[in-house]
Amino acid sequence: MPVDSLFAVELKRTVRALRAMAMDERGRYGGAAIALHWLTAVLILTNLTLGLSMVPLPIIPRKLQWYAWHKWIGITVFLLTWARLGWRWTHPAPPPVAMPEWQRRAAEVTQTLMYALLLVIPVSGYLYSSATGVQVVYLGLVPLPNLVPTDKALAGLLKGIHVALNFTLFSLVFVHTVAALKHHFVDRDPALMRMLPRIGPKGSAE
Amino acid sequence: MMVLLRSFIPSLGALLLAAGQAGAQGLLIDKSEIRFVSKQLGVNVEGRFRKWKANIVFLPKNLAKSKAELEIDLGSIDLASDESETEIKSPSWFNTAKFPVARFASTSIKNVGENRYEIVGKLTLKGVTKDVVVPIALKKDATGNSVAEGSFPLKRIDYKVGEGMWSDTEMVADDVVVRIRMVLPPLA
Repeated sequence: MPVDSLFAVELKRTVRALRAMAMDERGRYGGAAIALHWLTAVLILTNLTLGLSMVPLPIIPRKLQWYAWHKWIGITVFLLTWARLGWRWTHPAPPPVAMPEWQRRAAEVTQTLMYALLLVIPVSGYLYSSATGVQVVYLGLVPLPNLVPTDKALAGLLKGIHVALNFTLFSLVFVHTVAALKHHFVDRDPALMRMLPRIGPKGSAE
Repeated sequence: MMVLLRSFIPSLGALLLAAGQAGAQGLLIDKSEIRFVSKQLGVNVEGRFRKWKANIVFLPKNLAKSKAELEIDLGSIDLASDESETEIKSPSWFNTAKFPVARFASTSIKNVGENRYEIVGKLTLKGVTKDVVVPIALKKDATGNSVAEGSFPLKRIDYKVGEGMWSDTEMVADDVVVRIRMVLPPLA
């Protein structure tokens, strides 16, 4: 049999298997969990881009605007993460797909650390802003108190912490993404599919 | 009230102060502050000046002979960010190369009652001189020092602080509130 038709057979088999597993509601994350997961992904990638772009800008009005947006997005992620944790508390995640024990442990540690960082990073940014004497006003509407005194040394320290925590978070995001792709393309299990929204109306996958 | 007021008199009477950097009788400069709050995109941004000199003569019974003179080293601004500090010293803002100091000199001091005073004077900033009124409240702290606190608003555009693209007050508000706190020692 030619290689390309072997590949086609294999592909068909995989698609069928994935579809069957994706259709199994019990193994899937719920709609709210999926929405919160991807919304968080979009927000943190946007904020990473914004953060890396705004820092080297010369002090121009656009820079002030981007800093403001960066802070608003950060606080939004903080609030969404609490919402996700609350949701997960009341709606347990589906059991993990079959995998070696060390991988299951690694996934658990990675995900727990990511949740922790999604809460801690916005706080570090908020304190950093406070230390430079710049108040944070969420969405331009809700003024938050400056929790630490204006202090250059403290500001420098908090900036370093903010950057280091982000480096850690995005390293974990990288591992998380590579693992999800490995489950999908190598192990061909539904680990990724169950976190993706269903395509098309229910029952149309036949 | 009279008792309180009288208790002030000895220390206030002695506040014949050639104040500034040093001097046992002088202004307690480490406890004194010149701070300000501006607004960027509706958000409060705080800062202060690290270096300034003051010559304060305060005689509650002889306000005509009393005076307050301040000289502020604009280059000593503290915004807790090297980047912001470099920016604000640039020509569009303070232009410290050309205008290194801001000055305030009182022209009259009025007693407006209840340990409150109004210091009228001239503020010179970036080559522009304007009249300002600084309301002051006097009180004593726990260690017996006299503390004069007050704040006054100024419009940065009046002094050409923030020119060009920064004259847009949507980004950085025109209003800046200056807060001063002068601590004067009790009579030894």
